[in-house]
Amino acid sequence: MPSPSTSSLPGTPTHCPYCALQCAQTLTPRDTAAGADSARAGQDGQPPLVVEGRDFPTNRGGLCRKGWTSAEVLTAPDRLLMPQLRTPDGGFREAGWDEALDLVAAGIRTAQQRDGADAVAVFGGGGLTNEKAYALGKFTRVVLGSRLIDYNGRFCMSAAATASNRSLGLDRGLGFPLADLGGADAVLLLGSNVAATMPPFVQHLEGVRSRGGLMVLDPRDSATAKLTADGAGLHLSPVPGTDLVVLLALIHVVLAEGLLDADYVAERTTGLPELRTATAAWWPERAEAVCGIGAERIRETARRLAQASPSRGGRGAYILTGRGVEQSTQGTATVTAAIDLALLLGLIGREGSGYGPITGQGNGQGGREHGLKADQLPGYRLISDPAARAHVASVWGVDPDSLPGPGVPAVQLLDMLGRPGGPSTLLVAGANVVVSAPNAGAVRERLASLDLLVVLDTVPSETALCADVILPVVQWAEEEGTMTNLEGRVIRRRQARPAPGQARSELWILRELAARLGDASGFPTDPAAVFDELARASAGGRADYSGISHARLDAEGSIQWPCPGPEHPGTPRVFLDGFPTPDGRARLIPVEHRAPDDDVREQAPLHLITGRLLEQYQSGAQTRRVPSLLAARPGSFVEMHPLLADRLGVEDGEVVLLRTRRGETRAPARISEDIRPDTVFMPFHYAGEGSANLLTNDATDPLSGMPEFKMTAVEVLPVRSLERSPA
Amino acid sequence: MRIVVIGHGMVGSRFAADLAREDPSAEITVLGHEDHDPYNRVQLSSVVAGKADATSLALEQADSPQVRVLRGVRAVAIDRERREVVDARGDRHPYDRLVLATGSAARIPDIPGVRIDPDPAHDGLISGVSPLKDLDDARRIIDAAGPGRRAVVLGAGVLGLEVATGLAARGMRVTLVHHRERLMERQLDPDASDITRGALERLGIVVATGVDATGITARDSRLTGVRLSDGSMHPAELMVLCTGTVPAVALAAAAGLDCEHGIVVGEDQATPKDPAIFAIGDCAQPPEGASGLVAQGWDQARRLVQAWSPALATGAAPVPAGPRGGDLVRVKAVGLALVTMGRIDRAGPSGHAPRSVRLSDPAGGRFTEVVVQDGRLVAATVIGDDEAAASLSAAFTRATPVPRDPVHLLARPLAVQGAAGTARPVTEMDDEEIVCQCNGVSKGAICQAVHAGSTNAGAVSKATRAGTGCGTCRLQIEELCTATKAAAAAGAAPDGPSREAAPVQPPPAMAAARAATAPEPADAPEPADAPSTRGGGGSSVPVSTSSATAVPEPELV
Ligand SMILES: Cc1cc2nc3c(=O)[nH]c(=O)nc-3n(C[C@H](O)[C@H](O)[C@H](O)COP(=O)(O)OP(=O)(O)OC[C@H]3O[C@@H](n4cnc5c(N)ncnc54)[C@H](O)[C@@H]3O)c2cc1C
Ligand code: SF4
Repeated sequence: MPSPSTSSLPGTPTHCPYCALQCAQTLTPRDTAAGADSARAGQDGQPPLVVEGRDFPTNRGGLCRKGWTSAEVLTAPDRLLMPQLRTPDGGFREAGWDEALDLVAAGIRTAQQRDGADAVAVFGGGGLTNEKAYALGKFTRVVLGSRLIDYNGRFCMSAAATASNRSLGLDRGLGFPLADLGGADAVLLLGSNVAATMPPFVQHLEGVRSRGGLMVLDPRDSATAKLTADGAGLHLSPVPGTDLVVLLALIHVVLAEGLLDADYVAERTTGLPELRTATAAWWPERAEAVCGIGAERIRETARRLAQASPSRGGRGAYILTGRGVEQSTQGTATVTAAIDLALLLGLIGREGSGYGPITGQGNGQGGREHGLKADQLPGYRLISDPAARAHVASVWGVDPDSLPGPGVPAVQLLDMLGRPGGPSTLLVAGANVVVSAPNAGAVRERLASLDLLVVLDTVPSETALCADVILPVVQWAEEEGTMTNLEGRVIRRRQARPAPGQARSELWILRELAARLGDASGFPTDPAAVFDELARASAGGRADYSGISHARLDAEGSIQWPCPGPEHPGTPRVFLDGFPTPDGRARLIPVEHRAPDDDVREQAPLHLITGRLLEQYQSGAQTRRVPSLLAARPGSFVEMHPLLADRLGVEDGEVVLLRTRRGETRAPARISEDIRPDTVFMPFHYAGEGSANLLTNDATDPLSGMPEFKMTAVEVLPVRSLERSPA
Repeated sequence: MRIVVIGHGMVGSRFAADLAREDPSAEITVLGHEDHDPYNRVQLSSVVAGKADATSLALEQADSPQVRVLRGVRAVAIDRERREVVDARGDRHPYDRLVLATGSAARIPDIPGVRIDPDPAHDGLISGVSPLKDLDDARRIIDAAGPGRRAVVLGAGVLGLEVATGLAARGMRVTLVHHRERLMERQLDPDASDITRGALERLGIVVATGVDATGITARDSRLTGVRLSDGSMHPAELMVLCTGTVPAVALAAAAGLDCEHGIVVGEDQATPKDPAIFAIGDCAQPPEGASGLVAQGWDQARRLVQAWSPALATGAAPVPAGPRGGDLVRVKAVGLALVTMGRIDRAGPSGHAPRSVRLSDPAGGRFTEVVVQDGRLVAATVIGDDEAAASLSAAFTRATPVPRDPVHLLARPLAVQGAAGTARPVTEMDDEEIVCQCNGVSKGAICQAVHAGSTNAGAVSKATRAGTGCGTCRLQIEELCTATKAAAAAGAAPDGPSREAAPVQPPPAMAAARAATAPEPADAPEPADAPSTRGGGGSSVPVSTSSATAVPEPELV
């Protein structure tokens, strides 16, 4: 391929700040970049760094538009350069670090003296480096002594993580290098739009497309679904909220037609009889009337997967899940069914085949491994496990009994804020919850009811603007650290320029706060030292990083965990020799389909689904500050089929009102044949009017705490008709 | 509370399992006449067709010490006075509530010679003749089936069609015999029946309508042929009786409960005469009528569990029926997609007359009729189009709103169309059209880079970032390099079609949307007066209203 990777410049090799593909890039100061006009650097809107793609196993030199333009956020006009304190008139004023930190420390002390340790809660983000995620988790447990920490990765990976741990004994995202996909005969992508969200990923699908084996399940004819055109594969367009039915029917066909890998199932799994009976009732003709995908198409999908599987002499098959199927009140069940299907076909723990979830956020994987999750300690250990507590407490130099127990998952945490018995102070790092959480209107109310809201951010995000104290932090190009990408690969993030103004690393902020709260020594600020401590804390855990260090990563490039010793080469493929379960076998677990929590009804007869756009990332706090990305996607919209628009009497571009049980908002219609006529789609990157999460459901999956972002019953009305009719 | 369930079939087994889950205090005894664990009866025709393995039929059953299942035990009487059920061994089972889930039995027509003894149990049928009601029947049929052998399938209802196509798929020579002129006469009108008949004939099945079986021939107590009412003789080693089912009401009738077609029950599934006795599944006759389909029985089981469960109890009122779809009939035939749903006479409460449109395409083996009222699909028949059948079934069961003009429903528009066409050749695109979606690079920008000296795709990527995302446009960039260089050499306008020759140019957003490989059409808002993109899909399908006759040979879309 054309590779813009071979750089002749003395640049800094690092990785993109955004998604979990963590494309490799090289950053070169503009004034040293060949041909660059140094006088203009950083002033006239020209970003201070030149970004180039760099060859790496994941992106092979490619970047998407977000990656290419990432340096523009560094000099966003409203970049936060000083701590900001809320003023009595509701505005903000600049303050020095001492004043701001003293105020935060005093607020924490007051709240905890009054209401105990859990009066202070912490909300983290899946974009934080491993070092920062680790330090934040440690700070919460050791300095605050609070059990209440969780992170926005809950909205991302929790269902897949819960299901993987339960069925396979381990969650490492993709249990194999991404490049392995290239050799497969079949890839089933469930609810993932990689062609828009992480385009360089698509290079790895070239092989399977050339063999006609790409199968995509998505209610929209998404960019990824279109990759199946012209004989490259199959597109399955289910009724939203029925993905699990499709999977149950696929399992049914595999069992009914005897397509399973009987030897593998006998040797490496347990639970076949229960799975058989649980899926006996989902014959394809029954599933068809629920999911809207024809019985023959379901059979065809199952057969293609089976033909590609190693037991039938195929080159291999992969089943991959994304947020489309996971962000559901039955998200864990859905992923469990995907894993069941992969196990029946003998795909997991075999080179050239597998199951994996496609992580969304840059460090969603590392964040959940090292302490941002309510129930976990570093190394993917359970905070309720006495042995895990003892080990981590010894690394932290504290009494195991001083560590708090498990907290609560994100949605529940947000709902507790400011309520009697709930926390009255919240620290947010790396999350923009008033845009990204479900039922965002209610979240905003909760934040407003806090005594003290502290937000660490690089720009005045919508959540930062709700804060009492905003602390300015560094961006990716201004810090050292590590990230863990979607394939469990630990990679280095490197500093290419000094931090601007008074922006500081979270590591420094945590040390300063810890010192003010009485812990003077537990928080080093050198990322390499923090990593070493993290490595020790993770030793012996499921996500064992103990053989990894910054120095080793600098020498070797990247290492896939587990890596239990300095001589250990890392583990590109997990499960090859068995599953880390008590009996070494994977579990086939029967699951049942219930309907979505808020299913279509007379007053809300359409399905609302949400998702990402190529040009924007997450809550848009970063990407909406890049002029070319904002120009490409200036605001929210509602995608609808021409037939639906016709029924509603809505023209393209006309503003419509959307109403759900949670709230209502307005956005212009965008008419497109790429969506089912019973469904509308909204991007969730936008705040204020048109913000999709004002509408979404905060009901959660009982097992993982994952909210139901991907299916809400909605009523859509043309605003014109409302204005005409008297209220 | 002691609960006795009679019948451990598809509905009885699910009821017992669900009740045990919801009500830990229920002590449940299930009497099941069959020796097997509960299994998926619906899939028996797929087993006969060789599409499903008999070992894959086992259904979930209660796994709890609260539930005692007595397999191979038949209930012979209900003592309503003492609230006890008597089984064939003479054991008595006291109950506080009794649930009848006895299902139905195959109707065995009176054909001389078919019964070897007058016992109504089908075990008494001559070898080579069988209904298809249970696993043993399926095994018997498969044993008699084989490539090149001949079979008569009696009755062209749903089951008859499934069995006939299934045996044909096994390579048998099949004659399907039906006593009416119309196949599946309860669901299909004459046009739909004709098209179905054509589809069956294409599968090699001989269809004989308006005739009945009047006798058989046999040798050594084995079937050798079937005689029809028109006098014709059909040699056959196998005859499958698909002549309907009769609800198993004998037990209830003997206990003095009201039975008409089935055991009469109210909305709460209770028998009007005895509020402690309930009936669910195929044996029941609820106020809305029985469908003979498992969806209805499972919904009845769900409602009864919900009404009884202490945790879920919603008060005294009966739990309302679940989503629509109880009367959705899907023929599981190999090589023939056929689904019918709803009834026009049960259309919604409003005064608006239902609208009905149909597409009839005998030569193409396709037929679709939809009936729409108050913006919802209230009935439909689909033949020969698997995907349309699926999307209409989903729209029907979920009652999602349908397009204003029902004609759009005929051409499978309820799912996205699927990646249909290839993109236009990049050389025919306009300059403003986006070639690299990942980086938003237009054709014009790429051509410019070529002019400026980037002569291969690699150089163009370096200059414009085009092709550095997903990489799917690299071939197009290569093509543009070649074309632009060639055009430059020939001295012609290099970029895009000449304006004079070009037809009316669509606005950029639409044009971009047309590029089928293009991820995420560019989102330049369309001018308000831009031609609307709506109305796509289906508007060119020839249709006729339901009162008119079918269009004989429509053009296929
Ligand atoms: C081949 C075939 C294909 C079908 N295809 C479809 C389809 O595609 N879709 C659909 O919806 N439906 C289909 N059906 C119908 C579906 O199988 C029935 O609706 C369903 O089985 C009804 O369940 P039930 O529990 O009421 O009765 P059954 O499943 O018939 O179970 C009744 C049970 O009660 C037992 N029993 C009866 N009397 C006594 C007694 N006195 N004591 C103890 N036990 C007793 C019987 O032995 C039996 O095991 C099909 C049926 C057949 C036979
Ligand atoms: S795909 Fe993800 S990691 Fe790669 S450039 Fe785009 S946003 Fe960055």
